Amino acid sequence: MFSPANLKRLFMILIIVGVVAVMTGTPGSSSAPPTTGVHGSFLERVSWFGLFVAPRWLLFLTFGVIIWLVVSLYRPRARMIRRRVDTVFALPKAFTAKKSTRVALMVLALVVVLVLPKFVHESFWMYLIVEQIGVYVLLALGLNVVVGFAGLLDLGFAAFYAIGAYTTAWLTGALPAPALFHHPIPILWVIPIGIAAAMVFGVLLGTPTLRLRGDYLAIVTLGFALIIDDFVETQSGVTGGGVGSSLISHPALDLGFWHYRWGISPTPYYYLCLLFIVVFIVVFTSLEHSRIGRAWVAIREDEVAAESVGINPLKYKVMAFAVGAASGGFGGVMSAGLVGIINPALFTYQVSVNVLVLVIFGGMGSIWGVALGACVIQAVTSYLDNYQPWGYQINDLYMYIGALLIIMMIFRPAGLLPSRRRAREFAAAKGDEQVHTDEVLTGDQP
Amino acid sequence: MSGEVTTDLIIRAEHLTLRFGGVVSLRDVSIDMRRGEILAVIGPNGAGKTSLFNSLSGVYQPQEGSITFMAHDATALSVIGKKAHQIAQAGVSRTFQASRLFSALSVFENIKIGAESHRGIGLVGALVKGPGTRRGDHQSDEVVIDLLTFVGLTREANLIASQLSYGARRRLEIARALATEPEVILLDEPAAGTNPSEKLELANLIRRVRDERGVSVLLIEHDMKLVMSLAERLYVLNFGSVIAEGSPEEVRANPVVIDAYLGSSHEETKA
Amino acid sequence: MGFEHFWLSGFDQIHTAFWTYLAVGLQNGAVYAMIAVGYTLVYGVLGLINFAHGEVFMCGGFAGVFLTRGILGDRVGTGWGSVGLVLAGIIVGGLVSALVATGVEQVAYRPLRRRHAPKLAFLISAIGASYFIQTLAGKEFGYGVNIFPGEVFEPGQVMFTLFGTPIHTIAVVSIVAAIVMLVVADRIVRATRLGRGIRAVSQDAETSALMGVNIDRTITITFILGGALAGAAGFLYSLQSGIVQNAGTEIGIYAFTAAVLGGIGNLRGAALGGLFIGLFGSFSVPFAFEGNVQWTEIYTFLILVLVLIIRPTGILGEKSGRTA
Repeated sequence: MFSPANLKRLFMILIIVGVVAVMTGTPGSSSAPPTTGVHGSFLERVSWFGLFVAPRWLLFLTFGVIIWLVVSLYRPRARMIRRRVDTVFALPKAFTAKKSTRVALMVLALVVVLVLPKFVHESFWMYLIVEQIGVYVLLALGLNVVVGFAGLLDLGFAAFYAIGAYTTAWLTGALPAPALFHHPIPILWVIPIGIAAAMVFGVLLGTPTLRLRGDYLAIVTLGFALIIDDFVETQSGVTGGGVGSSLISHPALDLGFWHYRWGISPTPYYYLCLLFIVVFIVVFTSLEHSRIGRAWVAIREDEVAAESVGINPLKYKVMAFAVGAASGGFGGVMSAGLVGIINPALFTYQVSVNVLVLVIFGGMGSIWGVALGACVIQAVTSYLDNYQPWGYQINDLYMYIGALLIIMMIFRPAGLLPSRRRAREFAAAKGDEQVHTDEVLTGDQP
Repeated sequence: MSGEVTTDLIIRAEHLTLRFGGVVSLRDVSIDMRRGEILAVIGPNGAGKTSLFNSLSGVYQPQEGSITFMAHDATALSVIGKKAHQIAQAGVSRTFQASRLFSALSVFENIKIGAESHRGIGLVGALVKGPGTRRGDHQSDEVVIDLLTFVGLTREANLIASQLSYGARRRLEIARALATEPEVILLDEPAAGTNPSEKLELANLIRRVRDERGVSVLLIEHDMKLVMSLAERLYVLNFGSVIAEGSPEEVRANPVVIDAYLGSSHEETKA
Repeated sequence: MGFEHFWLSGFDQIHTAFWTYLAVGLQNGAVYAMIAVGYTLVYGVLGLINFAHGEVFMCGGFAGVFLTRGILGDRVGTGWGSVGLVLAGIIVGGLVSALVATGVEQVAYRPLRRRHAPKLAFLISAIGASYFIQTLAGKEFGYGVNIFPGEVFEPGQVMFTLFGTPIHTIAVVSIVAAIVMLVVADRIVRATRLGRGIRAVSQDAETSALMGVNIDRTITITFILGGALAGAAGFLYSLQSGIVQNAGTEIGIYAFTAAVLGGIGNLRGAALGGLFIGLFGSFSVPFAFEGNVQWTEIYTFLILVLVLIIRPTGILGEKSGRTA
């Protein structure tokens, strides 16, 4: 129990607990001495379950020791516990093995999602659902094609989002630059143009940069993202600069026999968003199982080998960029139409990384995983931002995101709902045992 | 291109020189490959064999020289300056010394990727899954099934590539390379790391690749027994230059070749 | 304002204030060079870009700043006191940064190496580490607030005048300190056993291991070395510009540009690259449209993008490294 190894474990646990204490503790400030935050985090007196009051360091120390005790006492049984945990984690996979189960789940999800607005009474929450969750699901689906399918680390995905939004603003005359339409936005035009603009930009950006390999591509996309960020800010005459625009009108649909105008209420946006999410899911799933999807897998696995069988990596990578951009661009159109306000702060590097987190958390390459992951994280984020438990502050989110990324890469890189191929790839790298596919000879359904 | 183009030449490499920084990998190397032959390139380690392969398949770009690939429809393709995938699409396939399979994919998928990628694709086609796409898909499937039978991997079709035995992996690589329907296939040490019975199987397979499929074969090998029994003609490289060329018997008896090999293992020269 | 006018007025400005631009450029360049060396060393042994390196720089900066603020209080540094303070700031900054760098290595990279994770996983983990550290720093020390190390030197203290241009002490001190540290780092990598280990692992990790080089230890030491330089740079940087919690992102990219420009994996290249980027940034200030500060950033990022696209192996050439 008190062996050196175990004591080292105690030390590590205490460090981790200490870090968590600081993460969840009081903030410092620039005017206060540097250790204020840490001081407060440890010395602040809090009530334990409403029973009595004691300083935080004691609370956390106790937690740490308890965890250590539990871990050391159960170490001999650790393997058994891990096996049980693995079985639990394997349940979803086994459960969804049959196609009929999966279809049933999808139908259920569809029903839930269609009926949801009836149960959400406050328009505030509905708004949040569309703006924070709906839009981000679209963004995540798009980035999933780039990162998950084609394996390209793009740190500037928010650019496509921005293009969609700014194109919408421009087309409806909300930018200082002269425009084509005026209120309200004829949706039939804006949506395809916004998507097309994003896709074109994807091709333009991708063609010179996608020859680069992994880490360099990441930096280049980051560089471009920052360049565009800066550039947009300087060009007030065209883009409204740092302030952006708050004049975007709401979309309207005029089919001759049927008119509809989206207004302030978020619920109609919800359905519009939902419609497109479904469309994109269908399209992306179809792509995944096509020869393009397979080419992407080949490039991801071994680009040299892919080339040796005639696959032109650049072509397929640019295609992935363009396809992902379509979804991102539409998210921008959606966002601009709903909120009516855009400015460069909405498209920063942080936003790009946010979307990346959603994709990684949900499972790179797994469409449903990404959609679900986006919902979960965005919902949690919204909750945290609005209710601010345990002295949580808005910016703290990024700490948790950072920690989450590291933890996920170590323990579950394949994500929440991993695509089977990806799970296999990570397992193969670790040298796991036999993994058989259950595919039929004539096709594949990963 | 100098000299006459003989109609039964499939690849002509002339005066190739390949440099990496200060190292000269290939020095004025000229190779002729005839259509339908099984040609081998041998030589001690570091002689430049893989560099030659990589130059032929577009991975490296020699600084000097030319490589021409003559397809059966009489079109001539200058290989240098083309990208690897273009060369593959033109009809030159290859395998790799260290097996480069798509290890998380199944055997079937590995070959299928080869089968469908040398046909053009369209984004819209892939999305819409019209009758044209479906037909193409079936065609690819048939090619795959045929190749699985050819290399003897039908039972393993659904296994993940990383679980195959070493010999099976080598066969899979050949199957994938054949899926692009090439005219010539470059095999980089196909028998490396295999046991004697696997070697025999591979040798038979390679012969059948040429006999039954009409694909010309260019291979690098270290196993002399294998090479001498398989190859009809040999080039011998040493220190980046061609030092001999001829039939197995001629090369085996060539004092220059024996001399080059005596620097490495003595046993290898005994066929 | 015509295009020609723009260029002419830009060059004119450079002409009038040449030595100032030069000094500023060298000063910034010194900082970038030190950070760039960190990127390059880690790239050599791990084969990847340490995304969290900018945060390492920032942490060292904060450490040095808080130390000197604490010591100085309201007073102003003079004479040998100033020198002592600078040394203290550099040492403490370097130590803290080395600690943070090691932490990043142990938490974000080592577990992934054990699991033979694909490169993408390392990149993502690094981004996570970068986010974590930056936000934690922001939480503890304030967001977007620039903090200075106190008056280590008399405000505006000039060391000497060059052709009529005052050259400030801070500039000279930064440049000299940077040169010294870079030379030491270069010596370490070239002439010591440690350095040989680093170079061996950079070239061929497998064989090095077989020859008895302890890969884990070598990697840790590389992080420590790179981190220390970055931390020292952080303090030097703060003397002129103060330190803020998101300084790591922007300066990190500048330094990375420098490392790539000089040939990633190439220590001297990184140092020279840093110098170049510093000078380039400084001399591009007169060419900012409408005086918008962002243009310097844009120009520098453009260099990064162009180098990566046109000549990713850098000017001096990449020293390739295999992943450990």
